[in-house]
Formats: sequence, C-alpha cells, structure tokens
Amino acid sequence: MLTPLTYELPRFKFDACRVFTNKPACGPKRGHGTPQPRFGQEVQLDKIAEKLKLDPADLRLNMVTKANTLTASWLKIGSNGLAECIRQVVAGSGWKQKHGKLPQGRGVGIACSSYMTGAGVSIYWNKMPHTGVQLSLDRSGQVTVFCGATEVGQGSDDVLAAVVAETLGISTKEVRCVTGDTGITPIDLGSYSSRVTLMMGNAALQAAGRARDMLVTAAAEQLEVAPADIVLSRGRVFAAGDASKTMSFAEAVVYAETKYGTLGTVGSYTPPKPPGKFKAAGVGPSPAYSYSACVVEVEVDEHTGWINVPKIWVAHDIGRALNPTLARGQVIGGIYMGLGEALMEEQVFRRLPPKLSNALVHKIPSLLEYKSITSLEMPEVEVFLVEDPDPNCPFGAKEVGQGPLLPVMPAVANAVFDAVGVRIDEVPITPEKILRALHLKREGKSPRVGPERFPEVPYVEPTFVIPPGEGGDGTESKPPQRKAAKAAERAAS
Amino acid sequence: MMRLPWFKHASPTSVAEAARILAGEGPRGMLIAGGTDLLPNMKRRQQTPATLISLSRVEGLKHIANGSGLRLGAGLTLTEVVESKAVREQYRGLWQAAAQVASPHLRNMGTLGGNLCLDTRCNYYNQNEDWREAIGYCMKKEGKTCWVATASKRCLAVSSTDSAPALIALGAKVRLVSAAGERELALPELYNNDGMDYLTRKPDEILTEVMLPKAEGWRSTYWKLRRRGSFDFPLLGVAVAARAAPDGCIEELRLVLGAVSSQPFLAGKASDFLVGKKLSDEVIAEAGALAASRAKPMDNTDLDVYWRKEVVPSFVGYALREIRGDDMRAMRMRIARQEL
Repeated sequence: MLTPLTYELPRFKFDACRVFTNKPACGPKRGHGTPQPRFGQEVQLDKIAEKLKLDPADLRLNMVTKANTLTASWLKIGSNGLAECIRQVVAGSGWKQKHGKLPQGRGVGIACSSYMTGAGVSIYWNKMPHTGVQLSLDRSGQVTVFCGATEVGQGSDDVLAAVVAETLGISTKEVRCVTGDTGITPIDLGSYSSRVTLMMGNAALQAAGRARDMLVTAAAEQLEVAPADIVLSRGRVFAAGDASKTMSFAEAVVYAETKYGTLGTVGSYTPPKPPGKFKAAGVGPSPAYSYSACVVEVEVDEHTGWINVPKIWVAHDIGRALNPTLARGQVIGGIYMGLGEALMEEQVFRRLPPKLSNALVHKIPSLLEYKSITSLEMPEVEVFLVEDPDPNCPFGAKEVGQGPLLPVMPAVANAVFDAVGVRIDEVPITPEKILRALHLKREGKSPRVGPERFPEVPYVEPTFVIPPGEGGDGTESKPPQRKAAKAAERAAS
Repeated sequence: MMRLPWFKHASPTSVAEAARILAGEGPRGMLIAGGTDLLPNMKRRQQTPATLISLSRVEGLKHIANGSGLRLGAGLTLTEVVESKAVREQYRGLWQAAAQVASPHLRNMGTLGGNLCLDTRCNYYNQNEDWREAIGYCMKKEGKTCWVATASKRCLAVSSTDSAPALIALGAKVRLVSAAGERELALPELYNNDGMDYLTRKPDEILTEVMLPKAEGWRSTYWKLRRRGSFDFPLLGVAVAARAAPDGCIEELRLVLGAVSSQPFLAGKASDFLVGKKLSDEVIAEAGALAASRAKPMDNTDLDVYWRKEVVPSFVGYALREIRGDDMRAMRMRIARQEL
C-alpha cells in the first residue's frame, strides 16, 4: 500500500489476498510487506525506461510525488525529499558516466522507495495515545525520562535523551532514560513501523515542553524579565540580550520546584486521523514518510554468473538526523540486510522422496546453512542524509530504521541488467539464475529468470474510492461501471 | 537446546599414551583436536563417543620442520599453518587452502590433522537429531537410505576438506601412529570414495604428521568455491601443483578436485593431458573440460548442483592461469573476497 508514495499516479488499484500455506509461520522483517511490491515496481520501471530509451534515474526524477499532497489512495505526504535523494545518488555514484556505459560485465542500477514513520492507525483498536512519556526533574538538576520504548540497539534511548535535552537546553548526559520496563514506564506500543523516533519523540517533546514552561516561568520571575525572553541553552537559563541575568539549569529547577512543588510532566502522542475514510484507508497512513534512493554497482562474470557488488550509494530523506552517526549506522544496516535479501537469503524447501512422504520440508533448518552476507561481502556504502524537516516530526526527524533497505534489491536486479542484459525477476539473485538467463540470451530466448506466472487469485470485489484529484471525499463510492451495469440490469428486467 | 552428551575425557601428553588409550577404548573412543567439527556434531548426535581423547596436550604434534621437504605436525592449528613463512612461500596452494577454511575463529581452533580427517557432509546428515529422526535418519547414521539418491548403495556425503586437495596436489604423505606401530601413507590413500567409510585410517591410528616433498621448481595454487568469502564449506576445491621447464612446458602436474565427491581425488586424465604442454588458453580449456567430467557434485550441499558442475572448468581455468603466472588478484578478490 506504500506503492503510490514515490511517483505521481493519478489512479491506483490494489488487489490483495491472504494465503494459507503449510510453510513455517511468517513474521515481520525490516520493511514489513514493502520489499515485495517495491521490487516489482522498481524493476518494472527499469523495464519501462529501457523500452522508452529513457534514463531510469531521469524517468523517476520527472515523476516524483510532491510535498504536502494526497496520493490517489488517500495517503497524506508531508515533506518529500525523494527528488533530492535521486539527485544525490546520481551525482555521488557518477551515474551519468556509468549507466549503459560501463564495460560488459559491469553495471549500475537505481531504485527508490518510501516508508512510513509510524503507523497512523494503532495495532490496538482503541483511541488511546500510541506512546507516553513521563519526566521528572529533581532539585539537583537531574532529569529522568520514563518511556516504554525499547532500546534494541537502534538508538531510541539516545533519541529520547536528545529530544529532552534539546528542549531543556542541557546536555544528554544530564538526562537519565528509564525505558522498556512496562512496570515502571508509561506505554509505548513497540519498535515496529519505524515509529519510535516520531511517536516517542513527539511525546517527549510535549513532556519536556511542559517542564520547560514551568522552568521559564519560575526563572523569569526570579530574573525579572518576560518569560518570552528566557533562553535555555548549554545548561544555563538566561535572559536573551542581558548576559548578567542568568542562572544554572539546576537553580532554575530549584526555583520551579519552590513555585510548583515536585516537578513532573507527562507527554503523549496520537497520530493525526488519516484523510481516507474508506475501509482499507487504515493501511499505510502515517504522520510522515521517509524517502530513499539507491544506486548499486555490480560485476557479473559471464562464464559463471558470479556476482560481486563493489559499491553502493544511498541517499535517505530522514527529515532531520538527530544523531547522524546512529542514522548512518541504521542506513548501512539496512543496506546490509537488503543486500543479503538480494543475493542469498532464502527459505528453501525440498520435497522428500516419495518413499518417505513426498512432503515439502525445510532444506536448511539451521542458521549455519541459511546464508546471509558476512563482512567480506559487504561493499563500501556511501551514505547521503537528506534533511528536509517534517513538521509532524520531533525536530523534523523522520524514520531511518527500515526505509533504506527497500531500494537495494531492485537496484541490484537493475544493475545486473545493465551489466549483462538479463533480467532476474526474483530474489535471491544467485549466480545460477544469472548464468541460466545468460544461456537463454545466447540461445536468442527471452533473457529472463523469474516466476513464469502469477497464481489465479479469486480477489474480493475492490473498494472503489474517487481519488483526491478527481473530487473525491475519501469515502467509498460505487464504481461507475457497476452503476451502469446495475442500471442496465434494471432496464432489462 | 542442543547439549553435549556425557563423555569421559582423557588428555594424554604423548602420542604413545594417546595411542594406548585409543586402543583400549576401541570404537567407543574418539580423538579430539580442535573440536570445531566434532563438538557441534556431538551436540546433534552424529557422533556420541564414550571417551574423547584430546590431542591438545600431546607433545610433538606442533612442529614445523625442514627435512627433505617440510614436515608439519598434525596438531598445528590452521592459523599456525597460515602463519608459517615456509608454507606461505613454498607451498602456496596449501597456504591458500588453509587460509580459506571456515572463519578466523575456527582456524584458531581447528587443526591441520582435523581438517584432513574432517567428517564428510550432507544436507540430510548435518542436521539436528529431531530433523533426522523425522526423515527416518539416513544411511550414514542410524538409517538405511541415502536420501540424496535413494537408489544409491553407498553414502554420498561430500568430502569437505580444503587442505587435503591442496596437499594431494603437493604430493604429501601422512604418518599414522598406533599402539601397534606406525606407517606412512601417500595422502590419496587416506581416503575412500564412500561418505561413511571415508578414511582408511584404522580406528586405533592417530594422524601425527604431514610430510611434504621439496618444493623447488614447483608452483601450486588452490581455488575454492563457496557462497561467501568466509565461513562456508567448499562446494568445489581445485588444487594444482606443477613443475614447468624454463620455456613453460609442463613437466609434472597434479590437478586435484575437492568437494565434488566423497573423497578428494586426482583428476588423472586432466593432469596427464597437461604434461608436456604449455598452458595456452586452448590447453587450459581442454583440461577444464577433462577435469569437469570427473566432478560429480550431488544435491546435498549449498547452491544449485547443475551450476556447480557447470563452473568446474572455470575454476580449473583460474587455477591453471595462476600457475601460468597470470595476475589473478582481481578474480581472486571477486571469488574469495580476500587477498590470497
């Protein structure tokens, strides 16, 4: 459902079904349902560009969605740095000198993507906030922030401390984070949908803002200036324009505690209501969307199909990087995982011999034989952080946890085409598939390896919604052709 | 959770003592050196010895000695082999093979002797006990059928040692010591083409030493196919050692394939074909085809089995071109993802 976020689409149709299989139960992984349609979309665009003899980067750049618009599917786009992302990876990778121009066996591919910064609709069906933050300030100047958000290595504690510290004009080392313990902290719904920076951050911003108001009021009284003139910065509370009127942050806390009693504030966050009001409108809405563009360079050996990825360039529209080091780490982590999906990660099933049961079983039920890339396969990654602050986000910061993975797989597939002129329309893109496609090419057949057909699916009758650009109001309506058919039916009877 | 079964542990300090304990334990005893393969296997119950006889404290298994060639103690870790200047400079093929066994951590523990005696591997065998029980086990352990090829009379598990092909190409011999005495064996004779009975080592024998002939005039190389540049077992190993006349004419050559059979083996026809010839592109291509005809990969390890067979000539080509003196560093980087 995130498909229409990247390129202008006047209309959009989406069919989906759930399939019951006897395979191992599935669960969410980075990108959660987005990599699959995005792979198809970005490879298809590459094929369109090839057919129309257009540069695949230009093709994309010329049809990127705009900021502050609604998609045909009624998703509200806020800030949008996709065009800048494309420009940066094109410039950084030397795309114009490389695409279609590298020697046989080497190629570059481009792909883009977008991802939600938190699900606009809660996974728990209630109207309560998605996250809560409590702040307590003690008279020593120590600030403690409580939140249910869980630090799983992604750096959420750092974001929490940074938002509070920035608002109160202190250093993050003055902020103690108490997180993850559901017995102590207010709720946070969890680390999914790339939601923590935005939701926890906004709640922290609210809690810290309320604390700041109390500190400002108390300090203004003490310093005999207007509250609007009070500045909190670098652990000091002072009057703008009069350096003599100043006190330390801890002193301001003491005055505020004297005035208000024990200091504690709360903040919470609930995303804005999605603009769509039809049945499927709850899938995909988000307060903000991140954008990514990626260029992958590959080397393919035409005798063996062996594939090598020497370098990847990725630009990610993060809104604002609260901690650029951690943000880059997340981007590179996403690239690593995406490259693993692109090149080798796979659940392989094989049929047991008829003598046994003819059942499909997992070929490799262990992590020893489940191949994910190692540091030796990891190419150099050049990261460009595109910062276009989004008003819905704390200090403008959008997600970075999942988005950068998404363009990697199609960019690899497109690069393989640029290198040796074959299409691998599925992942993983293995040497064996590339060699098979190269054989097909030499035989003059369609040089493509991938699914031969899509299964017949008895889709349900789609919900029909008039797009915003055609005067819709976001609710379901009867499709014109169905109305016409009904009228014809009535006429016939 | 997979835990080790109970076992007794003996740590003798001499080969004679180890051999005596091993003889006393009979089939219930097993030797352990680095344990990098044996211990995971024990957790999955492929091997359940009552007694482990550790070789780690046995003296005299870690020497690197010059003689008529080079003698390497079987207890040297693969890292120690890789760090040996003599190996790196004179026996390049062995150095390249040892450097590509598993990962740095495993090379720090795993030994040369252990890699030579490495248990054969198979998708149907290297699984946990529950998985194997669910398919009624396999011929190699507790079952009757070889699930790789149900009509097969013998086990088709794959020889997965990297050092053996390299050492066979180099003309190595090994020393086996038992309580009853000792013998020397040309390395190819250590192996049987049988996934179960893959070693000719008798149960009471200890592999103590590898003996390499003089390397003067010889060049050697080893190329390994695996999905990733670290960690993975070989899907194909190509080892070549050759002695050429000053004009480039091959006087002696051994081309050995690993991981495409239950034993590493000399590709005799391809080797003989190359003797008396210069390594032109055409000659290399023909040798590649001859060697490939001997490779019999089975669908019991990683990557597509037909593809693995198809790329044998390419890998033989890489090895022979390196022997010829071509600069193969870029290709090496792409295949091995490290300098070798």
